[in-house]
Amino acid sequence: MHYRTTIGAVVLAASLCGTFAGALAFDESKYPNWKGAWRRVAVPGIVGQPSYDPTKLPGAAQQAPLTPEYQAIYEANVKDQALGGQGTDPTYTCLSPGMPRVMTTFVPFEIVVTPQMTNFLIQHIHDSRRIFTDGRDWPKNIVPTFVGYSIGHWIDTDGDGRYDVLEVETRGFKGPRSYDPAGIPLAFDNQSIFKERIYSDKADPNILYDEITTIDNALTRPWSVTKTYTRVPVKQPEWIEEVCAEGNSDVEIDHQGYFLSGDGSLMPTKKDQAPPDLRYFKQPQR
Amino acid sequence: MQYFGSVATAMVTVAALCMSTAALRAFDDAIYPDLNGQWTRAIVPGAVGLPPFDPGKPTGRGQQAPLTPEYQAKFEATLAERAAKGLGDVEAVSCLAPGMPMMMQAYEPMQITVLPETTYILIDHIHESHRRIFTDGRAWPKTVAPTFTGYSIGRWIDEDGDGRYDVLESETRHLKGPRVFDSSGIPLHEDDQTVVKERIYLDKADRNLLHDEITVTDHALTRPWTVMKNYRRTLDPLADWPEYICNERIPFLRIGTEIYRVGEDGHLMPTRQNQPPPDLRYFTQPKK
Repeated sequence: MHYRTTIGAVVLAASLCGTFAGALAFDESKYPNWKGAWRRVAVPGIVGQPSYDPTKLPGAAQQAPLTPEYQAIYEANVKDQALGGQGTDPTYTCLSPGMPRVMTTFVPFEIVVTPQMTNFLIQHIHDSRRIFTDGRDWPKNIVPTFVGYSIGHWIDTDGDGRYDVLEVETRGFKGPRSYDPAGIPLAFDNQSIFKERIYSDKADPNILYDEITTIDNALTRPWSVTKTYTRVPVKQPEWIEEVCAEGNSDVEIDHQGYFLSGDGSLMPTKKDQAPPDLRYFKQPQR
Repeated sequence: MQYFGSVATAMVTVAALCMSTAALRAFDDAIYPDLNGQWTRAIVPGAVGLPPFDPGKPTGRGQQAPLTPEYQAKFEATLAERAAKGLGDVEAVSCLAPGMPMMMQAYEPMQITVLPETTYILIDHIHESHRRIFTDGRAWPKTVAPTFTGYSIGRWIDEDGDGRYDVLESETRHLKGPRVFDSSGIPLHEDDQTVVKERIYLDKADRNLLHDEITVTDHALTRPWTVMKNYRRTLDPLADWPEYICNERIPFLRIGTEIYRVGEDGHLMPTRQNQPPPDLRYFTQPKK
């Protein structure tokens, strides 16, 4: 009897608990807690500009599985960068880095999870993403963008009733895009497909992984890397506003990069670079 | 005693579990208005051109901005300069962020996401603006790095006492410049001491119509300037989110004190008659 009464009490309490929960349309407890600010984890010994595969040094050490055609494009880019040019790194005039480079996360970023969408708010050049998780299919027509069109699915891999992995596929690109500042190029046909698995470390919820696999016609095979992020341990993160145009001294005229000097004049970025064509000006040059 | 103890223990255990779950389920979105989704600025019949700060009035001088004489003179100088350069109202001559309050014109679609701690307003126009209105009860920080978007603290109000919030009151400070109210160039004060107060709420009769009553206090103004912005919810859940890459869209280039246009062929062009070309003193190669 006592036993039955105890069960009754448990059922009553549990049902009350369920009633309260029923009023909640967005059950946050089903989703991983990714609130706060995240920043990329620096890998000891890896120096220089952040590379695409964070576990390897930038440039040739990335061992990008490029086709011979794109390997040649990459090497020409290396020579141009050595002369002071930008090579195949298109971001110097504030073009969006696009996918997958935005996931390098140059600055701390925020993840906003709702049932319909997960936003990655990355305030760098133009790096933020929307991942639709509302069950939609691929649209018949996608307007190409640098960050692409992302559809995700939440997975409960361990069957505990809580989602623990966000699987994402991203298509629908425009270019030019490169993997990193070293200029490793993506195919100019912009047919890239990215598959990601984003999840927290099982032992440390303040570590986040993004396994990114790139399928691209500049590659001989899919290229997989894992990005690792750590949660910034502050209650009220300071969100930096980075405005690329502010103080950016790089300009492009007729597909050539130039530099703006401190006195407001145009400067070459490479030795013996020709000045821009001023055919539309009637006034003599100052 | 044993009976009481076992029931009590069971109740406490379940209650504890319930509390633990409730803590995780802290977000009761039923008590917040449904602002989530995509919003576009409401079209004003008869309005032409780029959206002005007060959508109910014509652009430029028609806005009747309550500017101080000093800032009215600056505005007139801007109008005169643009007329001389043939620019008129321009979306932007640089890709600096529009900032507050101009960004709330929602030139491009606006995403609002409401969570208990923060309401996010995301607008991808000129700059990819992430506006966060903190509703976690925080006080103003002692030091804030100024931004074009500013630092916004909000609080939810249940005005009609029905147990649900219906108005988000927001205050925004700590701005940087230069900023203007709209594309006609109505200036805000260079001291960047602007304070923007807003009341954001759904229309009582039409839940797909959003109002933002904006009051700007600024040293360029003789009095606070209040306008009402209206937005329509996009009913298509699959609506497109355009990606606005400023330097693909804005054909202007500032070199020194001069603004030039980059033509469709990529060449530099003057923006006014007899404009001198840029100084090429640093080039050793002959001009092409």
